[in-house]
Amino acid sequence: MSELLEFLRALMEDPFGFLDLPVRQVITDIVNWIVANFRDFSRTYISPPVRGVMDGVQWALSAIPPGLFLLGMLLLGWWAASWRIGVFALVSFALIGFMGVWDQMIVTLSLVITAVFFCVLFGLPLGILSSRSDRFYAILRPILDIMQTTPPFVYLVPAVMLFSIGNVPGLIATIVFAMPPIIRMTNLGIRQVNDELIEAAVAFGSSRRQILWKVQFPLALPTVMAGLNQTIMLSLSMVVIAAIIGAGGLGLEVYAGLERLNIGQAFVGGIGIVLLAMVLDRITQGLGEKAPGARRQGD
Amino acid sequence: MPLLEQGKTKDEIREATGQTVGVNNASFDIQPGEVFAIMGLSGCGKSTLIRCVNRIIEPTAGSVFFKDPDLGEQDLTKLDAEQLLALRKRRISMVFQHFALLPHRTVLSNVAFGLEIQGRSKDERKHLGQRVLDMVGLGQWGQTYPSELSGGMQQRVGLARALATEAEVLLMDEPFSALDPLIKFDMQQELMKIQRELHRTILFITHDLDEAMRIGDHIAIMEAGRIVQIGSPEQILVNPRTEYVANFVEHADPTSVITAGTIALPFDSELFVKVDERNGIQYLHRHDHPEIHYGRDRDGYLREVRIDDREIPVRPLAEILDARNGDSVPGSRTEVTLTCGEDAVLRQVLRSRLHSTLPVIVIRADGRARGLIDDPELINGILEKRGHIP
Repeated sequence: MSELLEFLRALMEDPFGFLDLPVRQVITDIVNWIVANFRDFSRTYISPPVRGVMDGVQWALSAIPPGLFLLGMLLLGWWAASWRIGVFALVSFALIGFMGVWDQMIVTLSLVITAVFFCVLFGLPLGILSSRSDRFYAILRPILDIMQTTPPFVYLVPAVMLFSIGNVPGLIATIVFAMPPIIRMTNLGIRQVNDELIEAAVAFGSSRRQILWKVQFPLALPTVMAGLNQTIMLSLSMVVIAAIIGAGGLGLEVYAGLERLNIGQAFVGGIGIVLLAMVLDRITQGLGEKAPGARRQGD
Repeated sequence: MPLLEQGKTKDEIREATGQTVGVNNASFDIQPGEVFAIMGLSGCGKSTLIRCVNRIIEPTAGSVFFKDPDLGEQDLTKLDAEQLLALRKRRISMVFQHFALLPHRTVLSNVAFGLEIQGRSKDERKHLGQRVLDMVGLGQWGQTYPSELSGGMQQRVGLARALATEAEVLLMDEPFSALDPLIKFDMQQELMKIQRELHRTILFITHDLDEAMRIGDHIAIMEAGRIVQIGSPEQILVNPRTEYVANFVEHADPTSVITAGTIALPFDSELFVKVDERNGIQYLHRHDHPEIHYGRDRDGYLREVRIDDREIPVRPLAEILDARNGDSVPGSRTEVTLTCGEDAVLRQVLRSRLHSTLPVIVIRADGRARGLIDDPELINGILEKRGHIP
């Protein structure tokens, strides 16, 4: 009787002492296994294309004379949104240049463009598949949740182990973190298209592919653009974190400044990131409103 | 399905299985070139039924036979996916209740949508699309977007899109229900005008009996997934088969549906009294109007109308309506006997009362006099929606 009481007391005081889940060991083993088996694969097949796109973009952006770049931004902002946004873009980029972080901005912009390129490349098809198959989306959804909510620091180290340090692991981490919105919003945009419009397309003999490209996708485009906007913002928010594992650019300014307690340097990098983010946000929003599907549906 | 075959009702099946029976046992034939209206309240399955024809909704049982101009008679429910697409591209098109225009495309590009799916060239699309757009009176609006048009104009675009593919069969799912009453009436007129030109076979869904009667050559009335009566508008109005149909019909406007042939009091009725026979002409008078004598020869042709010894002129009603262009001055009635065909509708016959004080004589297609319409027949036709009761 007293033994039973003793047992119950121990159970109440420390119920976790009875079981030790070896999660740490399991994860470590899994990661080690992945690294051991996929290291060569990822360094031969994943790194080169990612680095290639990154280098290409960076080369192209650096080739533009900064003055011409500023003018281009003015025109792009004007065309995509309004002349105000054009002027805002011009002023923002000029400020970045005057602060002396133009080259770092070019690196960061290249990182963002590369990450977004891969997010769109994989995100759009995945979003379209999700919209067409409930089962596919049911499987994909928890994966997206994990991608979005796992703190990036957790997968930075495995990324480095797989891809070594530099821009590539930073890009991979950024792509993982920034891809979910474009998948989700593509899926949502396509699913939101009015049923009667789909029915009309079907009634006139459209194939599934024609329905997608002539009706669903154009009408989903404003939503897809909102997803793209989110993807861009998330990839920008990753540049500082990516700097920890060796990615360059404005993020590195912030990280290096903090490490050396050079607050000024860190702030210059931070302001640069904010300005870049605001300009990219306004421009992509303007593009979303320009999309033909932004016209009122139905009614 | 087995439950249906056991003869359970829609409600019983919903309770037992949680599934809803959309349409059950709805059989009908549609002749080429006619407008076949399906009338029923919302939720009775008429939209489901029309979607079974082009299989936007797959029927679980039953057949849809279609005489394809190239392939002969086909059961549409047995087509494979490819044949079905071909059918929808070429043979059957559709007009939707809420127009279903693509908001990101111009009006012209919407009209040409079916042609695009058919794989026609850009020039052809533009040319044919513009022609149909002209036909519905929107020739100038090709480059605008649907959201810039009013509801009535949007549905003209929807109609143009359906006409553009030159499909023989047009499915129209409550096309005018979302429109204002005045515009709705305009659109009905427009549709009938276009139909007189093009002679498409139209399956027209509506919840408005007056609309069904105005447009339909035949009407099927649906209740809870079943068709309860099929017939011409007049047959349904005059002879509703169930109480459900009778309820509808009670509030319908009979004046443009019921025909003179239906309400005329036949000359061989016992309400006519024979007064005289001379020179091979038999004279009759209606028992309550002994002063008017109608003279018919042995073959049944109307020879003369007399009051006492005066001969009353006889003129076709249509002539007078045409001459006066529908307008008439009340109080300028004369003593004239008007004649009309059996297919003249009540509305036209009523108008005769503005011109003449005397009954209208109904003439058969072969020229023989069938009977006459006086006030009792008119009133009976309007109030009771019935013909002469022997």
